Amino acid sequence: MNNSAEKIRFDAIVVGAGLAGSAAAMVMAREGLNVALIERGQKAGGKNYFGGAIYTHAIGEVLPDYMERHPPFERPVTEAGFWFLSRDGGLTRMMVQGGRLANEPADAYITSRAIFDVWWAEQAQQAGALLIPKTSVVDILWDGGQVVGVKTDRPQGDIYAPVVIVCEGVNNLLTQKLGLIDHDLEPAHMALAFKQLIALPMDTINARFGLPDDQHGVAASVLGDVSLGLPGMGFVYTNKASLSVGLGVMLDAVAEYKLKPYEILQRYLQHPAIAPLVKDGQLMEYGAHLIPEGGYRDMPKLYTNGAMVAGDAASMVNALHWEGTNMAIVAGKLAAETALEAHQRGDFSGAALSPYEERLQERFILQDMKQYRNFSHFLETHPTFMDAYPSFVNDALGQFFSAYGLPKKNLFKNILGSLTSRRQLMQAVGDILSMGRAVMGW
Amino acid sequence: MKTGDAFSVKTLPQDLQASLPDVYVDDLLVSLKYFIDEAQSHLKIIDHAVCARCEHKPCTSFCPVGVYTLAHDGKIQVAYQACVECGSCRVGCPYQNIEWKLPRGGFGVAYKFG
Repeated sequence: MNNSAEKIRFDAIVVGAGLAGSAAAMVMAREGLNVALIERGQKAGGKNYFGGAIYTHAIGEVLPDYMERHPPFERPVTEAGFWFLSRDGGLTRMMVQGGRLANEPADAYITSRAIFDVWWAEQAQQAGALLIPKTSVVDILWDGGQVVGVKTDRPQGDIYAPVVIVCEGVNNLLTQKLGLIDHDLEPAHMALAFKQLIALPMDTINARFGLPDDQHGVAASVLGDVSLGLPGMGFVYTNKASLSVGLGVMLDAVAEYKLKPYEILQRYLQHPAIAPLVKDGQLMEYGAHLIPEGGYRDMPKLYTNGAMVAGDAASMVNALHWEGTNMAIVAGKLAAETALEAHQRGDFSGAALSPYEERLQERFILQDMKQYRNFSHFLETHPTFMDAYPSFVNDALGQFFSAYGLPKKNLFKNILGSLTSRRQLMQAVGDILSMGRAVMGW
Repeated sequence: MKTGDAFSVKTLPQDLQASLPDVYVDDLLVSLKYFIDEAQSHLKIIDHAVCARCEHKPCTSFCPVGVYTLAHDGKIQVAYQACVECGSCRVGCPYQNIEWKLPRGGFGVAYKFG
């Protein structure tokens, strides 16, 4: 038994050096707390596999001078939007550029998380946090009903602190051990996302995407003939000298249709609109990750005596808007501010940590999560939504921009027919109303 | 998704199913970096009898890196070395028959780019 003098003690423990965790550690260490930032990977970010783009509003909120610290961004997102793929090889692009997307620094930067997260954790270390890598947290240490630390898989690996911020990611094992949620998230509420990172020369990428240089980049959400008509969405991101191409499909659908993710991905890469973009590219990395898309209804309780939870572990994801990284960063900061207050008062009870939830409620995080609370259910109950409409868009525009030598009243009849062959008009109206309700939170 | 014996599979339209290319997953895995824990697996089948009863064995398909395969003796074989720790099997096994732990600190997948 350790006697109390030998115990390893910190003012705060953060589990997981991802976006939420390093943000939390940074904010607490900067105010003088002695912070342990525990990471199970060899390096921060080593377990993350991600599209994707990171939003600078969140980074700047935690680290206002981030641009002077040379974050390892890929390209800024200067062009964003939707691509609709059709079964017959068609592609409709609905993209926006200029305006807000020309801001400098950009609103969003494409990033490789295994590289970005190392830099992000370094900012926490520079603020004074102690990064402890290669260490898995396997359990919570309790004193009665109060969390007093964590048990790691190192010999004599118990670490004590009056407050623990759990940023463990989507596999919410500790969040369950804390009693903040009493079940695993359901496969119907999780997207299994998988992608290939494909190396191509910078000039080739610029030419294929119509970009002037590597300070311009594309982020596309790809709908339609991507996920075999199952609820899912693809993406294409331009890195400096590689493309990030992948998709997410709800895990229950992958399981029930007995699909192999890498086959769905290969099919997507072979689509006539995608294949020329990745042609002659070299595979740099393949991987997969779960995304908790259940929304507000899947969120755990956010705090207990001596502990708080932030990021994916708390299902802080807005699936429709590809948001999650920003919520994680801001939630990490808000948890840290709550921990700082608790230290000032010397009170780490659940009641003392409850302002964490109030802070989340004052910000976009809980407001958006609540507003979109029905969206996950909407997709579950409208499984064809992601399939029927994107293919209709291609068909309708294809007809509109073609001349057949037919009277135009036939054209509009045909376009209407193209919709109603996919969804009855009343169903379509119902879909749109349900979608509206789900998004507006009615 | 229904669980246990109630788990049932669905089928895609024939033409969609046929449009899926064959992919040899090992061709993808060579791009990944791992620190393999030779001493112990972080994944364990809790009860092989349950797998024997599982009619559809969806883990042999949905695992994005093909960790689970059906061996010649009819048992599910677990190539934990290839695991990317996504957690799909943890929640996707219809019988909750997979004990899923974190690899020991430092071990497991080590994404280079992410």
